[in-house]
Amino acid sequence: MGAFGPMKTTFNILLLVMVMAVAPAQSVFEQRHAEVVRVASDERDRSFSTITAKLKTGNDVPYALAMLDSLTKDEAIGGMFYSYSLIGCYLHTQDLLPDSLKRKVREAYRTRTMYRGDTENHWVMYYTGLYLAAQTWPDEEGSRWFNGRSSSENFQEARDWLDHWIGISSTKGQGEFDSPTYITTFMTPMVVLYDFALDPVMKKKAQMMLDLLFVDFAAEHLQGNYGGGHSRDYPEDIINPLAAPSTFWAWLYFGEPGFPPWVETRYRPRHRSGWEPVFGAVSSYRLPDIIYRIATDRTTPYVHTETKRVRNVIRFGKELNPPAFKYTYVTKNYILGSLHGGILQPIQQHTWDVTYASDKPNNTIFTLHPFYSGKELAMFFPEEEKFLSDEVDRYHKVYTNPNKWNSSSPYEQTFQHKNALIVLYHIEQGVKQPHINGFFPKNLDEFVRNASGWIFCRAGGTYVAIYPLKPYQWMEEEVNWRLRSHELNNGFVVEVGSLDEDGSFEAFQNQLLQRKPNYENFNSKLTVEYTTRHGDRMKFTFGGERVLNGRHHSFKEYGFFNGPFVQSKLGSGVIRMKYKSQTRTLDFKNVSIVDTP
Amino acid sequence: MLLLLLILFQVIESPQYKRVEASVTQLRPALYAAVYINKGSTSVGSLSSIGLFRRYEGDTAWVNLRPNTITPGMGFTSFGDRHQLYLAGGNGLHRSTDEGRTWRVLTGWRTKEVLSVALDPADSLRLYISTPFGVYRSTDGGSTWIEKMRGFKTWFVRRVILHRVNRNMLYATGEDALYRSMDGAETWKQLSVGVPGIKWVMQHPADSNLLLVGTEDHGVRYSTDRGETWKQAAGLDTSAVYTLASTRDGSALYAAGFQTGVWRSMDKGATWSQVWKAPDFDAIYSVCVNPRNPDHLMAGTNGSGVFESFDNGRSWHDAGLPTAIVRQVVMYP
Repeated sequence: MGAFGPMKTTFNILLLVMVMAVAPAQSVFEQRHAEVVRVASDERDRSFSTITAKLKTGNDVPYALAMLDSLTKDEAIGGMFYSYSLIGCYLHTQDLLPDSLKRKVREAYRTRTMYRGDTENHWVMYYTGLYLAAQTWPDEEGSRWFNGRSSSENFQEARDWLDHWIGISSTKGQGEFDSPTYITTFMTPMVVLYDFALDPVMKKKAQMMLDLLFVDFAAEHLQGNYGGGHSRDYPEDIINPLAAPSTFWAWLYFGEPGFPPWVETRYRPRHRSGWEPVFGAVSSYRLPDIIYRIATDRTTPYVHTETKRVRNVIRFGKELNPPAFKYTYVTKNYILGSLHGGILQPIQQHTWDVTYASDKPNNTIFTLHPFYSGKELAMFFPEEEKFLSDEVDRYHKVYTNPNKWNSSSPYEQTFQHKNALIVLYHIEQGVKQPHINGFFPKNLDEFVRNASGWIFCRAGGTYVAIYPLKPYQWMEEEVNWRLRSHELNNGFVVEVGSLDEDGSFEAFQNQLLQRKPNYENFNSKLTVEYTTRHGDRMKFTFGGERVLNGRHHSFKEYGFFNGPFVQSKLGSGVIRMKYKSQTRTLDFKNVSIVDTP
Repeated sequence: MLLLLLILFQVIESPQYKRVEASVTQLRPALYAAVYINKGSTSVGSLSSIGLFRRYEGDTAWVNLRPNTITPGMGFTSFGDRHQLYLAGGNGLHRSTDEGRTWRVLTGWRTKEVLSVALDPADSLRLYISTPFGVYRSTDGGSTWIEKMRGFKTWFVRRVILHRVNRNMLYATGEDALYRSMDGAETWKQLSVGVPGIKWVMQHPADSNLLLVGTEDHGVRYSTDRGETWKQAAGLDTSAVYTLASTRDGSALYAAGFQTGVWRSMDKGATWSQVWKAPDFDAIYSVCVNPRNPDHLMAGTNGSGVFESFDNGRSWHDAGLPTAIVRQVVMYP
């Protein structure tokens, strides 16, 4: 970077912030893209994204070429992450590469082990890489490829799987849905596929998938935060939502949060992921204006529901891909969102939280049961049940940790109505980790544990009230208070409000102090009845019915998407976006996009 | 071993394999170890110490045959013979016809992970694979595959084997039970083993009616009437048994699994006794017996590499590949 590097970077950031402050958001879109590429080109890490940035900008070219050369030589690396990003880098920069390096890149697809992986994101990366590589070097025999299959065989298999994935993702949903962490592993392959697929139909499908991924995010987005329940999320991102990789994509395409993700200050966590969004920044894909509007207009609070699917349940299940139901309430201050509960994803599920707009980190509150079991993992992986937990712990580090912040649990279920939520726990005797954890950031502006049983929190203009059904302990940790309860039949009633909805924090508290959930004989009935401060009567039995104002709450009404901005009937393949007078309809079955006006 | 000899004979007799026939006599006895993953690595991107390893008898060094196509996967490894190696893995079913120098993936995306493969000794074009999504059959040497799950109640199938004599009869270990097909996998019937969690199935090499299964929590069970009725073997009663092996003549059988060490039966599986406690590691995935020397055993462990015994299992020594999770060990004479 040189002696003037930091000064230059600071100046550029200031300039960018100043320009963004005075210009319409869409007009600074290109500047954000350019800034990502420029800043990434100063990075010295050995990644295809920063190599692409250096070669695209002409900055540090000898270093970039040396890094690319070393990446083609290193036999210890390979796999799906390598495959798609190598071909992406190559296709973006091939005109700048010497012939000798081009040959080495080609040779990598013969000599490297391109492991396909065992998750949805792995396969998207693997088959995108295979599709583009086979397209780039057509008519070559099997001996020229890592898997012994010819270019045409590889191309056909990759195309067929991508068609399959796009088909199921647009009708039943993704298995690894709405992941603040893994969003990068879907976005990046799709922008590369969009940029370089020669088949106009595949290019169009990639564009439509990008629209779908972005609008799926946009509908649950708040100032850079990815709200709602998540299939897979890393603990670092769960307790610090703006540190998630999704924030980078939000900043790049939605212009929020209002600061570049690589900047860290006392109140701003540095973005945790790598520079993969560079591939978005150099892409010709442009976000439709309607999605930008959906992501950023929070004038009116709304309910948004979705149906996703559980990833392949290969054992101990009755259905290969059972549905996963999402309910999200979005306001300009906060998002309260939940998955309906149970095991919808192994390892990294995040079932519910309230995430609020804030200048401070750790802007979220939630509870969970830190469940783990070999049987849960054996539902999804073909390994031996008895040591799958240890196996997973080696990669994900926290799977068996009693303090972990991500987990699915068969003993956790939720029922949400607008900004009220009931979460119930019915934990079996003898289960590992027989306790519940709750995350409360220490940087709350106000925090009250009222004698009535309610816990009141204020973070800026957002108010959160939580009523634990059973006794709990309070443990101080570095950035948070941990609520811990060892009561196995348990639950919480949650209400979220704001300055706009409730006036003062005191007024909010007073409304809650007048009400208390009814949970008599909870250990035997597992039922909670609660009337919200808006007068809605919720009744929820663990493993039983959800009833709202005397009416059975049906997940069928969730649709594939159902909300003011996005609607889609489950299985239709038609996703309709609406913002004021604008509409955009993605018809995946006919591979068409229709915009109005 | 008889199965292997049958396969070898049939394959070499096939016109398409005449080219490799000439090199048969030049082959040295070899040991193979399929390494699923190495506990020394912490990333799916670390691929340098996994795959299929070969060690010639008498040598000490293992050679990695991995490159290009052999992927860690989640599954087991199976072999045809030295000239036609099959490896089941995460990228699918791989075949090498040049002793592992080059490989070709035979399966596409629909079959996903492949957990085992069974070869028809009478028809080299007929293959069966088991996957987490069912049994598939190919009748054209692996070019195309058709799902064959009629009669199954669940879709996860860990292992499929072909009857040694009746080539239309197969056994498959499902999630809930053992299944048998009498018509080349067209239809399957659930057999009443009496316990869930069937991990392994083996046909006795000298008695084609005798079947043995390793189970998740009930040790070994055996049937003397081709799976119609079952008995609990004595010893290993509550253990998880992941693998069974046999000497060439079936006089000694071996079993191993989760925290079991190695066990042996000298009465066709009715009773078992421990021959090696193996206290240093938690599981043994695979045991094999040298077809030329029944005193020579190998064991593939969960994270401690390969162990070897030359005295019929009384003493064992580290045979290399430290920290490797070895899913299968095989010896070829």
